[in-house]
Amino acid sequence: MNDITAAAPPAPVAVAEAISGEAIAREIADMGVTHVITVPDTNLKTAIAALEKAQRVKMLYVCTEDEGMGINAGLYMAGLKPMMLIQNNGLYACINTLKAIALDAQVPTFMLIGQYGRDVTKTVEENRLRSVRLLEPTLETWGVPSFRLEHKTDIGNIRLAWQKAWEIVGPTAAIIGAPTS
Amino acid sequence: MLKQEAIDILGAGRGEAISVATMQSAAPWYLSGQGKNLHVDASGCMGSASSLGLGLAMGKPGRKVIVLDGDGSLLMQLGSLVTAGSFGLKNYYHFVFANGAYESSGNQTVPGQGVFDFCALAKASGYRNAFAFEDAAAFKAGLAKVLEAEGPVMINLTIARDEAKPRWPGVKMSGQVAALKEQLAALA
Repeated sequence: MNDITAAAPPAPVAVAEAISGEAIAREIADMGVTHVITVPDTNLKTAIAALEKAQRVKMLYVCTEDEGMGINAGLYMAGLKPMMLIQNNGLYACINTLKAIALDAQVPTFMLIGQYGRDVTKTVEENRLRSVRLLEPTLETWGVPSFRLEHKTDIGNIRLAWQKAWEIVGPTAAIIGAPTS
Repeated sequence: MLKQEAIDILGAGRGEAISVATMQSAAPWYLSGQGKNLHVDASGCMGSASSLGLGLAMGKPGRKVIVLDGDGSLLMQLGSLVTAGSFGLKNYYHFVFANGAYESSGNQTVPGQGVFDFCALAKASGYRNAFAFEDAAAFKAGLAKVLEAEGPVMINLTIARDEAKPRWPGVKMSGQVAALKEQLAALA
């Protein structure tokens, strides 16, 4: 008699792995960031909590990403070093301000962006949600350099994106692929 | 009051404040010489004047920041009132040139004209003080008191509709940003 017991399907393997929120918060503070302006992202909640706990940078909670871009520019003109922490949908919400302030007015605007809704067992390109799939093409359309963080070893890409924003005097993004741990 | 009257009164009373102007207050502010120093326009980003001013006021707490906003512009990012109220910056002065119209695009009436009340909205959002002026004489007489008040302060200016062709300062915001950053660094 044949054994008809079906083997259990293998568990999905994560393409993007969780990066520690504490490690992200430490990197942000070590870079010299003075203010983190945020409309919070679910995927980055442990990073936000770690930033709050460490108290090495000032956290600013705003109503919209548009406001965040303006406040970021005002702080920059005042000689400070702010950044933004948002989610993919937030980037879509503030495209006009990204165009006018970060790009046209030439303001270093570093954005740490969470891929809200990402299925981490699939590549970004294979994800069902267009909010996940179209983030990088959208940034590319506007000429905004972006850096992926898919693995713990990618933590240095936050600093690379930050430095790039100051080098080009414009916007850059570091994209966190999976919910932080 | 006429827009130019409000511009002239505010310019005369500005002192050493940093200014941010947007939409149809930007050109007369610039042409009256106020845009040359410690100034930036919010151009191409309707609604962002208040948040630019907030960042400047937070970054330079020892200096007053005056924002020349429009009613249509503020309606576009009305949540910024709550953000400004929550920040509670004592050096933040938010002037709204309220003509009830989208002047740049042909004087179409803004939504809710005659219904909403910016002073009430601001107070309910956490602004410490709010003032409203309907004529130039009252504004001229009251400006010093406004600028002595503790921020965040909302100042609603009732402005007559202007049928003249819309004007733009003709300067690039990128140059203004770089210049203001340099000027503020030199003052530090």
